[in-house]
Amino acid sequence: MQTKLLSEFYHLEEFCGLAGYKKNGGYKVLEKAFKMKPQEIIDEVKNSGLRGRGGAGFSTGMKWSFLPKNNEPRYLLCNADEGEPGTFKDRLMMERAPHQLIEGMIISAFAIGSEKSYIYIRGEYNEPIRILEKALKEAREAGLLGKNILGSGFNHEMDLYVGAGAYICGEETGMISSLEGKKGQPKLKPPFPAVQGYLRKPTIVNNVETLAAVKYIIRDGAAAYRKYGTEKSAGTKLFSLSGNVRKPGNYEVNLGISLLDFIEQEGGGMKPGRKLKAVIPGGSSAPVLTAAEVAQAKLDYESLAGMGTMLGSGAVIVIDDSQCMVDMLGVLTHFYHHESCGQCTPCREGTGWLNKIVFSILEGKGRLQDLDLLLKVADQMKGRTICALSDAAALPVISFVSKFRDEFEYFVREGKSKVRGELHAQMHH
Amino acid sequence: MPKCTINGRSIEVKEGTTIMEAFYQQDASIAHYCYHPGLSIAGVCRLCIVDIEGNPRPQIACNTKIMEGMKITNQSAGIKEGVKWVLDFHLINHPLDCPICDQAGECGLQEQYMEYGKYSPEMAERKVKKRKVVDLGPTVVLDSERCILCARCTRFTEEVTKTEELGLFNRGDRTEVGCVEGKQLDNKYSLNTVDICPVGALTSKDFRFRQRVWYLKDADTICTGCSTGCNVKTYFNKEGFFRVKPVYNEKVNGHWMCDEGRDIYKFVNLEHRQLKASIRTGSETFETSAGDATKKFSSFLKQLKSSETAVVLTGQYTVEEYQALVKSLKKSAGHFFHWNQNEVTEKAFDGLLLRGDKNPNTAGLRQVLEENKVGSDWKELETGLKDKKIKTLIVAGPENKTVFLDLANKLTLFSQAENLVWLSAAKLDQAVSGPKNFWHIPLKTFVEKSGTFVNAKGLAQKFSKVTTVLSEALTLSDVAALLTGDEALMVAEAKSEIAEAKIPLLADLHKRPDQVELERRKKNEFLYKRGAL
Repeated sequence: MQTKLLSEFYHLEEFCGLAGYKKNGGYKVLEKAFKMKPQEIIDEVKNSGLRGRGGAGFSTGMKWSFLPKNNEPRYLLCNADEGEPGTFKDRLMMERAPHQLIEGMIISAFAIGSEKSYIYIRGEYNEPIRILEKALKEAREAGLLGKNILGSGFNHEMDLYVGAGAYICGEETGMISSLEGKKGQPKLKPPFPAVQGYLRKPTIVNNVETLAAVKYIIRDGAAAYRKYGTEKSAGTKLFSLSGNVRKPGNYEVNLGISLLDFIEQEGGGMKPGRKLKAVIPGGSSAPVLTAAEVAQAKLDYESLAGMGTMLGSGAVIVIDDSQCMVDMLGVLTHFYHHESCGQCTPCREGTGWLNKIVFSILEGKGRLQDLDLLLKVADQMKGRTICALSDAAALPVISFVSKFRDEFEYFVREGKSKVRGELHAQMHH
Repeated sequence: MPKCTINGRSIEVKEGTTIMEAFYQQDASIAHYCYHPGLSIAGVCRLCIVDIEGNPRPQIACNTKIMEGMKITNQSAGIKEGVKWVLDFHLINHPLDCPICDQAGECGLQEQYMEYGKYSPEMAERKVKKRKVVDLGPTVVLDSERCILCARCTRFTEEVTKTEELGLFNRGDRTEVGCVEGKQLDNKYSLNTVDICPVGALTSKDFRFRQRVWYLKDADTICTGCSTGCNVKTYFNKEGFFRVKPVYNEKVNGHWMCDEGRDIYKFVNLEHRQLKASIRTGSETFETSAGDATKKFSSFLKQLKSSETAVVLTGQYTVEEYQALVKSLKKSAGHFFHWNQNEVTEKAFDGLLLRGDKNPNTAGLRQVLEENKVGSDWKELETGLKDKKIKTLIVAGPENKTVFLDLANKLTLFSQAENLVWLSAAKLDQAVSGPKNFWHIPLKTFVEKSGTFVNAKGLAQKFSKVTTVLSEALTLSDVAALLTGDEALMVAEAKSEIAEAKIPLLADLHKRPDQVELERRKKNEFLYKRGAL
């Protein structure tokens, strides 16, 4: 069931180094790309239907074409600040195939005409940082970065920038603020980064997986890439499967496969004696799906959006019947309260409020009106702020409370968990 | 020139106008905190949300430019409900300590809650605790719990003063305003942060706890702190004057004023004033009314030779007063001198507002002296006094003593004269024993008279009387009238090019819409129906 396009050689230890990477076809696509015109590459990416793999799912070719058509210096930023709870695909990609990312980035930079790019990496990713730094050194020494790369006349410099551990720096404008040396807070849009981003210059921010996929689109052509996946969600995607399954891990599959099949066949199904209760399909900010919904869900952008949730970063979190949904929501609201940057009022105050209400319930002090209050507060936080963190905090609350209301009501009425039968959460904060 | 409709009303605006600016131009009411016309757009309070037809999500008015054909409303049910909730978000961690808060009565939270509030709080959790009574610097105190994090103060220090002392620290609802490490809020414009703070988070050390704002009246006038001539509002009641705040004037001071200028209210109050006229002849001193003293001097003046009489003027009085005094004394006084407060720093300018010349009307004085073809070199005064050629001196001294650093030296110089008439509102700290005859006649301060000041840029600004503090004091025009017996001079409408020019009265100048709104609110002209509460 796996379709190993990006992850074809991830099992090879040598793929991590430049020699091993080249042995397995590395940097051949770069040579091919340099023979193309930049606009051809952009058109190819646009035709491939590649959509941003970081979470928003916006068309990559379209994003690139928003850049102003002039000679202004521009930047390419790789978003490797993988902070969405449940997501760990970028880590694997950077650990196993750093040169794949670098090659994809050089091709993308060539296409958009950028002479400088940064990989903004999450501060906690010690191993990927070490590996990427080594790979960047190798690439520089081999003349793959620097002046006149492979005799093409194209100059490009690439640097690694290590974040300091903030979820909000994974938001593209928050990342740009952080990269500029400011407090990591999202910026007002408009202007959009493609017009005015890093250092007020046009900037493109793409996810690790998106940039790596560019290499394969140029290698095989847009039409070949389109053969994977569905009409509107083309290509393959790495999914980070976690939670109560037997074989958690990263799996690359075609977009559009059945969620239940994915869990059963790749994840090895549920642990013995356990039943599937719910799945969060796209990272912690995606609304949760009940077991009944999971049976019908397909892993692509449209069908998940049609079910009121999202593919997001592709972090599938499986929840079985041993988990208390009130506990789970407590973990999530605590996370978003901790990570809200504090700029916009609804998010700054709302995340704290939601967290306090959920913890009041968890402490046995809940009131029945708190459940409706949670829904009201979350509803007023949606779509009212500069970035999407407020929505990310609100959506799980709305989905948890409305889909598992019985568990919440039980907790409020009885003062204890319906699943665990006791009061205090197992994971306390 | 894109056309759009705001709440159903069609308007045409300039290219690049934001929805917020259009609301301002239309005088349509819209809730907001972080937007300030003098600062960059932060877009964080999220109160100014509007519906734009065809847009699924509400947009913020402050950061959305008007496009052709936009249909904008903030009257839809969704927006009204949304604004209520955003206001509630502002308030859930606010201490609601209005009874002991210095901002109460002019607080953005109070005002906007009256108009847009939810009135049914649902917050049942513990509030976030933050620092209180934080000393930010010599002028400002912070209460973090009251702060709504609109970032106006941090933007002010970043964009206007460019001193960058303030920053927002921590994340989420733990965010607090604070001073950057190793710095404190200590710049010449620091108190503007108190003005633009929409809540009681930043309070002025000078003003806090001295008066409830609803016990204060206010009136516009011109700052006399320096020759920039900032437009200001003075706040007073029968106990005296309490503070000064800037009034928007695009041509002069924009939205701001300096901290120095905020002290000008202090010398207006009675404790700093000369209350009665005092006359000393030889060693005999007696007190009398200002008018009586002036009349007495008037008869004395008639015996004097004009060549032995001189007038010394500081740049602290109005154009009309100079005209009246110069006209009335032209015959009886042979010399007119301009007492320059500080020739060295006169031209100094800090690039924003503060000027080295600490007089409001130096330019006006020079114009009047020139117009009347009087005015002599300062050296003449010094030699004249030394050689005893000048025997009588009439000095219109400083109203604001603190800026005249050489006051004591100058007084010693003037004391060489046989007769000295000291016209000034301020009490004198030292006894003047040099002259044989000494008159101290109390004058009115700038808040007690109408007139015109010409600022350093040559802009003439008319202002009107705020109130009477000391009814007995005289203006220079009154003095002139009493000296000559020509009552026409007292009207202070001396003929002058400057005074005759049609200058709009300060109060009639265009006011910033939010000031108009504030005034309307103060007069209880609320937009909501009172019965509906």
